[in-house]
Amino acid sequence: MKAIVIYKWARATASARVRESGEVDWGAAKMTAGDDDPAALDVAKAIAGADGDVVGLTIGDGEAAWALARGVATAFTAPQVGPLADESATAGALAQAVRQLGEVDAVVIGDDPAHPGVAPALAAHLGWPVVLAVGSAALSGDGRVVITRKAGAEVETISLVTPVVLGAVAAGEEARPPGMMETIKARKKPIGELSVAAPAEAVTSTQTRRPARSGAKLLGGEPAEAAAALVTELRGDGLL
Amino acid sequence: MTADADADVDFDVIVVGAGVAGCVSAFQLATAGRGVLLVERGAEPGAKALSGGVFYCRVMEQVFPGFVEAAPVERVITRNCLSFLNPSSFVNIDYGDQRLASPVNAVSVLRAKLDAWLAEQCESAGAMVMPGFRVDRLLIEDGQVRGIGAGEDELRCKVVIAADGVNSFVSRDAGLRSKDRTNHLAVGVKSVIGLDRAVIEDRFNLEDGQGAAYAVVGDCTKGVGGGGFMYTNLESVSIGVVLRLDDLKRRGASATDLHDGFLNHRFVAPFLKGGELLEYGAHLVAEGGLAMIRDLVKPGLVVIGEAAGLALNTGLTVRGMDLAAGSAIAAARAVDGALEAGDYSPATLGEYRQSLQECFVGRDMETFRRAPAFLEGTRMFNDYGPLLADVFHGVYNLDLRPRRHLLKTARAALRSSPVGWLDLARDGWNALRAL
Repeated sequence: MKAIVIYKWARATASARVRESGEVDWGAAKMTAGDDDPAALDVAKAIAGADGDVVGLTIGDGEAAWALARGVATAFTAPQVGPLADESATAGALAQAVRQLGEVDAVVIGDDPAHPGVAPALAAHLGWPVVLAVGSAALSGDGRVVITRKAGAEVETISLVTPVVLGAVAAGEEARPPGMMETIKARKKPIGELSVAAPAEAVTSTQTRRPARSGAKLLGGEPAEAAAALVTELRGDGLL
Repeated sequence: MTADADADVDFDVIVVGAGVAGCVSAFQLATAGRGVLLVERGAEPGAKALSGGVFYCRVMEQVFPGFVEAAPVERVITRNCLSFLNPSSFVNIDYGDQRLASPVNAVSVLRAKLDAWLAEQCESAGAMVMPGFRVDRLLIEDGQVRGIGAGEDELRCKVVIAADGVNSFVSRDAGLRSKDRTNHLAVGVKSVIGLDRAVIEDRFNLEDGQGAAYAVVGDCTKGVGGGGFMYTNLESVSIGVVLRLDDLKRRGASATDLHDGFLNHRFVAPFLKGGELLEYGAHLVAEGGLAMIRDLVKPGLVVIGEAAGLALNTGLTVRGMDLAAGSAIAAARAVDGALEAGDYSPATLGEYRQSLQECFVGRDMETFRRAPAFLEGTRMFNDYGPLLADVFHGVYNLDLRPRRHLLKTARAALRSSPVGWLDLARDGWNALRAL
């Protein structure tokens, strides 16, 4: 099977500064790998299987060799598509790119809670079904894709026909990030460039709510006193 | 290095640290056609630098012609103010001069922007920039540095350039530096306060795009050795204190309390009124001057920038980035020569040490070698501010008593000050020699 993994398609929200006016200042933040991108890659690899093909796809100004450093053989970028506030427009750009990569069985993208509309909108642009919150995937003997995902305390298992869009979620940190040598080798590999017209945005972001901030407490004194005070505070907050 | 060892390398040069020093040296060597890897432990170049500073940037024209126009600088500094700050008074020496704008002498910069731009220039020149990796060891064989190690990976090269900042683990690993004395180190605590561009220009009396830099002594540190600083960015003000570690520890003072006290000082708070806290952080700063500089070269290794102890606080100017760039230029020239000769011994790489001594970096470090000892004197932080204010109070407080000449007014102020005539003479002489 052939699976496309989409990565580095948004900027990290941690890079954004929300001003008191509600205006969002992104500074010089670049497109970066999301927390769920490694999980998306794992799902894509599982769908492709040992004999299959995983193709990396990214947009914007992020380091496109990210997927190549993680064992993907070929990767493409559409550098002219910058970060868009309109999630449907982002999905539209990604769909344009996917269509240029030939027949595909599955497109896997991180199911990022900061951009919940992108994966469904991508499926809508492609006219394919979508399943979100995917934790793992496997191939069944009849050519279907079987995914699992958590639904409350239960684990759902869903059998899907292809082509399909999957939104993957990470269960934890990336198990083994590539080392420097793998990254250097990846940076030396060619990366295909796709021509994608930046879609018009129907939605623009003017301001946002400031994230809730909790005050910090500094506990002074001798180390033993500070440790005792910390334990008291934690007990007071019901954490111990 | 043998011909075999020369062939068995991944890069000609590995530069550790993508700050000003690392980027300038990487850019120079990549431009010369050398294979360069620039490794940075931060997620992005600039991520580990504490917000910014005043960059005496004339040296950058040697590397990037048109630097001020092309690089993401904040404001051109045309006002320099030395402020003696007391609890209820202050005396400023306020120097503004349009000559400082043409040619541009100093700019304020935010390092997250500047370092990212510098790294882009390195990539454009052909260097491979590798953020997100921490170099945790040097590969040393028979006393010769032959590369770096990061986790399970080892990379070999002909020369390593250590540009990894004041704590330089690389030069410590090479045995070139030991733990610094606490009176050679200071802790800087800084805030960046967001304000409208027009508000900044009104409050600091600035023309469009121009900026001010304040060096403050006295009540900002409550007697702890060090000082305060404040400089204007395009849409923010960077402000904080730099506190000598030994004095901070001796007095049991809290760096964060002193920082907060400075920002809330009655004469400082109005500059920041209505501002929004954008960044807050702390960082070690090299303050030892010439005494901090030790060996800069080992077979296959050169040390540059703050990793080499190149930082200079004269009380009037706090310099680091220009010295970093100057050392990087000197190092790149020496390393390029060593690569050409195929000889990475201290004798060849030692050209760097020689160039450094002859250029403005080494000469300024030598000229101001007495500045750290002079600035360790406690009278500068405790007594001269109130003394100056008393002199001016005697001049301006027209309380209907007959006026006295300035000299008599100053004598009267001196009599009620802990500063004696001998102290004044000694400090004046030392200031002349040190500064």
